[in-house]
Amino acid sequence: MSALEIRNLRKAFGGLQVISDLDMKIPSGQRHAVIGPNGAGKTTLFNIITGWQPPTSGEILIQGIPVQQGRPDLVTRGGLSRSFQKNMLLESLTVLENLRVACQAFHPSRHSVFRSCRSFSDVVRKARDAAEQMHLDHVLHRNVNELSYGQKRQLEVAIALCPEPKILLMDEPAAGTSPDERANLIKLINGLSPELTILLVEHDMDVVFAICDVISVLSYGKVLATGTKAEIRSNPQVIEAYLGQHHA
Amino acid sequence: MSTEAAFRKNERRAALKLLPIPVLRRPYVILFVTLATGLCALPSFVSAYAVTLAVEVMIAGVFASGINLLTGYTGLVSLGQAMFLGLGGYGIAIGTALLGWPLWVSAPVTLVVVATIAAAIGAICTRTRGVEFLLITLAFSQMFYGAAIKLRWTNGSDGMTGIPRPDLSLLGVSADSPATFYYYVLAVSALALLLLWRIVSSPFGSILVGIRESESRMMSMGYAVASYKIGSFALAAVICAVAGILQSQYTYFVSPDSMSWQMSGEGVLMVIIGGANVILGPFVGAAIFVVVKQALTLITDEYNLFFGIFFMLVVAFFRGGVLGTVNSLIGKRR
Repeated sequence: MSALEIRNLRKAFGGLQVISDLDMKIPSGQRHAVIGPNGAGKTTLFNIITGWQPPTSGEILIQGIPVQQGRPDLVTRGGLSRSFQKNMLLESLTVLENLRVACQAFHPSRHSVFRSCRSFSDVVRKARDAAEQMHLDHVLHRNVNELSYGQKRQLEVAIALCPEPKILLMDEPAAGTSPDERANLIKLINGLSPELTILLVEHDMDVVFAICDVISVLSYGKVLATGTKAEIRSNPQVIEAYLGQHHA
Repeated sequence: MSTEAAFRKNERRAALKLLPIPVLRRPYVILFVTLATGLCALPSFVSAYAVTLAVEVMIAGVFASGINLLTGYTGLVSLGQAMFLGLGGYGIAIGTALLGWPLWVSAPVTLVVVATIAAAIGAICTRTRGVEFLLITLAFSQMFYGAAIKLRWTNGSDGMTGIPRPDLSLLGVSADSPATFYYYVLAVSALALLLLWRIVSSPFGSILVGIRESESRMMSMGYAVASYKIGSFALAAVICAVAGILQSQYTYFVSPDSMSWQMSGEGVLMVIIGGANVILGPFVGAAIFVVVKQALTLITDEYNLFFGIFFMLVVAFFRGGVLGTVNSLIGKRR
């Protein structure tokens, strides 16, 4: 059974067909990138997979279970988590508080109204571990609005990892980061469990080639090609439509 | 003393030693103890008028604290919280004066009924956001206000009288005395504040703050935010209803005016003045609001004009309210 399966997906905004007849199967543990020019429908695809936008038609199955549209919380509970293209963090809270809130989402303590957050030491420990995993342990008590952009991107990924997902969707995790921050982020993502299925949208081809095994190229809402790095690099259609000679 | 008893005593002492007051919190503890002592001793060294004013401040503080849970912590700005203040007052009036139930039955029944009504209203209102939420809560509030004016069995616009204060004869005192009533209101306010403090420092409270910061992020973390928003709405309503019960006992009376939108607006002003998202903010806001309003009333009939100027000054120079500004100044010094 595939970790993620997309069947005959269509999405139209009025008369504009953004995604048409898209099929995709991603096996467990695969690192899969979706690339394509702006407006190809990559973020829309992510929004549909995660339940934020309903498809016009088609079906999405996470580990064989259809996604319930309009309920992103249930998609996360189904084992799929995502990081956002634009940082969506709890800005006035500290790094630890952000991670603690993320970790407690799957803990019985989320229903607790009268006990202090700090008394749930297992949640706090898990939040600290998540920070350590993404090299944020030295800024644990800093407010998010005091972090560098690269650290915020790391926190985005750390929060997405807190629910211990089986599938992780990352929407341009390296966007806007410096070369050093990018290299650090690649290292951190490559250090994640090999059992974790990753679906990545990214414009930076160096990041894509450094992280992913399989690449799908999206153009005008259709899959232009799917294959390994070498296959995609040598595909003349992909070179013409997206990559250019530089990455070929 | 037996060996076992001595062992238990030592164990209790050891457990107490494990609860040190952190150095950074000591000033707050000293401030709290001083404040608590001052409040307990207040009726002994101030005039009866000042005691009455303090009662008004505490009732307004509880009301504003209910608004703060919804507005400051959850990020839902409501202009309809006075409906729950009024429902608290009417609930206790109907229970005691109309049905003849004792106060200790009427008060919890009122709070349960208010929580149920609030959950139902909250389920509708929390489907909206921002200005829409503000207007839909205002609409519900005006609906209850209209009903209170029109209903005969609640005496229409004349309101209901005969609301009793608690029977404290067992303690040898009468709640009809201003000083005793002051202690009664102080105890209820302290309990409401303690309850709120526990709520906002709990995981539930942190989820409310998360919703205020980014509802979308909370949904993608796996939270069913709608149910938390309804929970916050209902809890805030119950706290406002507690204020309503105290208010009606204070005046022995409840009228539709307690549900007016002006009353909701004043509550929001208190939160903004004192500091939203700060547990004591609404009480500080209520103190400033009540005292400044009283002082201006003594000076001029046009006190609203001057209060408006005062409010603008607070918003301009104390962003985050008085306590919010103090907190950020302390934070900068550290």
